[in-house]
Amino acid sequence: MSKQTQRKSMDYVKKEYKRTRTMPANWYLSSYEYKFNITHMQPFLKKLKEKKLVANKCSGCNRVFFPPRLVCGKCLVKPDRWVDIRDTARVATYAIAYLKDENSEVQEKPMVLVHHDGADTSSIAELAPGVDVKDTYISMPIKAHWKDNPEGGLMDIEYYDLMDDDAEDLNESK
Amino acid sequence: MDKVGIVGYNQVKCYSDANYGRYEMIFEAVRGAIDNAGLKKKDITTVISATNDYYDGRTISNCFTVEVGGGYMADESKVEMDGAHAMLYGLMRILSGNHKLAVIWGGSMPSCYPYHSARLYETDPTWERPNAYVNDITSSGFQMRAYMEKYGLSKEDIAKVAVKNKKNAAKNPLALEESQNPNISISDVLEAEIYADPVTELMVAPPCDSVAAVLLAPERQAVKITDKPVWITGVGWNQETYYLGERDLSQSTSMEHAAKAAYDMAGISNPRNDLDVAELFEVCAHEELIFTEALGLVEKGKGPQLNTEINGDFPINPSGGALGGNPPCATGLIRIIEAVKQIRGEAGQYQVGDVKRAVASGQIGMCAQNNILYVLEGEN
Repeated sequence: MSKQTQRKSMDYVKKEYKRTRTMPANWYLSSYEYKFNITHMQPFLKKLKEKKLVANKCSGCNRVFFPPRLVCGKCLVKPDRWVDIRDTARVATYAIAYLKDENSEVQEKPMVLVHHDGADTSSIAELAPGVDVKDTYISMPIKAHWKDNPEGGLMDIEYYDLMDDDAEDLNESK
Repeated sequence: MDKVGIVGYNQVKCYSDANYGRYEMIFEAVRGAIDNAGLKKKDITTVISATNDYYDGRTISNCFTVEVGGGYMADESKVEMDGAHAMLYGLMRILSGNHKLAVIWGGSMPSCYPYHSARLYETDPTWERPNAYVNDITSSGFQMRAYMEKYGLSKEDIAKVAVKNKKNAAKNPLALEESQNPNISISDVLEAEIYADPVTELMVAPPCDSVAAVLLAPERQAVKITDKPVWITGVGWNQETYYLGERDLSQSTSMEHAAKAAYDMAGISNPRNDLDVAELFEVCAHEELIFTEALGLVEKGKGPQLNTEINGDFPINPSGGALGGNPPCATGLIRIIEAVKQIRGEAGQYQVGDVKRAVASGQIGMCAQNNILYVLEGEN
C-alpha cells in the first residue's frame, strides 16, 4: 500500500481535527486482508465445484466437522480424514435479525445454525429470502441452495431452502 | 494458596452518554479506590488494566492510561478481556510475593463507538462472517432459543429474570438510570423493541460508560489496611470452543468446569447451602438461568423455578447484574465489587441479610465462551 492510500484508509486527515471535545476516528477493518491457507481445505473446496459437501473427521475423537476445521480443539490434532455428508440439514437453533438494506428498509432475516445430516457440528447460515420467519422452528429440515456456477468457495451455498417435513410430530415440534 | 484480600474498591456510576473524558473517568475510579482505602500513590506497586484496543479506538490502549491509572513508575500490564480476568492477573502478581498492593481497573466508553457493530468482528472472518450477520445479540438469540427449546421454557420465564434485575437495579444508585425501573412488568419486557427475535431490548445488558477499580493486597498488608478485608478463597476459569456450531448452547460447560475448580479450591461441597449470594455477569437475561444451573444451585432446566429475589431462596444479582448496566471490560469487576459490598454489609438498600460467602463471575466471548468464577469470603 502506498503512503497516501494508507493514510486515507486509516482516516488520519488533519483538517478533521478541528474540534477538541470529540475527535473523529475510523478503523476500516474491511481494509484488513485476513490470510487463510487453503491447502488443508483443498478436498472441501474442490468438491464444492461439483455441488457436493465433504466434512473432515478427527481420528482422535471421531467427530465430523462441518465446516471443516483446521484443528480439533479437543485432541489438538489436524482432522485428516474426509467423509461425504449430505446437503440436507436441520435447524439447530435460530434467531431473527433485523437488518437495514441499501434503501434503509428494515428486513427480517432468520440467522440459523445449520446442522448437516452426517456432521457433528453446525455452521452459521441464512435461510432463503422468501421464508416466512414465523414458520421457522428448531429441527426444521432444510437443504442447501447452490449457486448456478459454483466456483469452489464458501459462497457457493447461497442460502438454505425449506424441505417438506413429513414427520408426524410436526405440530408438536412447532 | 496464600490469602489475598480485596482491600478497596470504587465504581463510577454508569451513564449511557457520560459527560466525562476517558482519562477523567479512569482517574475518578482509581483515585477513589485509593482514597477510600486510605492509601497513597506510592503504595501502589503493580497496576493491571482491562481495556480493549478496538473499544478505545487506538492501538496499545493501555499506554495512555499510565498516569490516570496509577501506573507511573510502577509496573503496569493490560488484559484485553473482562475486568474479572484482570483481577486474576492481579491475584497472580500478588501471589508471586513481589507486590504489596495491586490496582485492578477496567472499563470503557461505548458512547464513543457502535458497540454491537464492533462485536460483529468477533466472528470468524473465513467461515462465519461472510455467511450471516452474527454479533453478540444474534448469538444470544441462538442461545436463548436453544435453551428454551431444550427444557420447554417460555419467553415469560426469561422475561422474569429481566424484570427482577431491572427492579433490583432501581435500588442500586450506581446502576444505569435507563435500566432502573421499579414498576417494570413481564409484558413490558416482551413488548419492548425486538433486537434479534426472541431477544428484546430489555433482555440485553445495555452497554454504558463506566470504570471500576479494585485493590488487592496479600494477607499481611491487607489486615493493616482495612478492618474488613474480603478474601479470595477460590477461583476457576475455563473456556469452550470458539465456533458456536460446535457447542451445546443450552448449557454452559465452561462455567460448570470453572465452578468445579473454584468450589474445590474453596472447599465447597454443596453450593446451595454453602453460598449466600451470587453476582453473575449475564449478557442476556437467559444467561443468568444457564449460569444458575451451571453453578449447581438448581438442576438443569429448573433455573426459572428458583426464587432469586433479594429476600428469596437464593439471591442472584441483588445489584441488578449486567442488565443494570454493562460497561464493557468493567462488568465482571463490578460483579466482584457488588459481592464484596454484600459481604462487608455495604450494599445499602439491596443488602442481602447476613452474607459470609459469595460468588462473582465474569465472562467474555459470544454466548459466554470464557467464564471465570470467584469465591469470596469475609473475615470470620
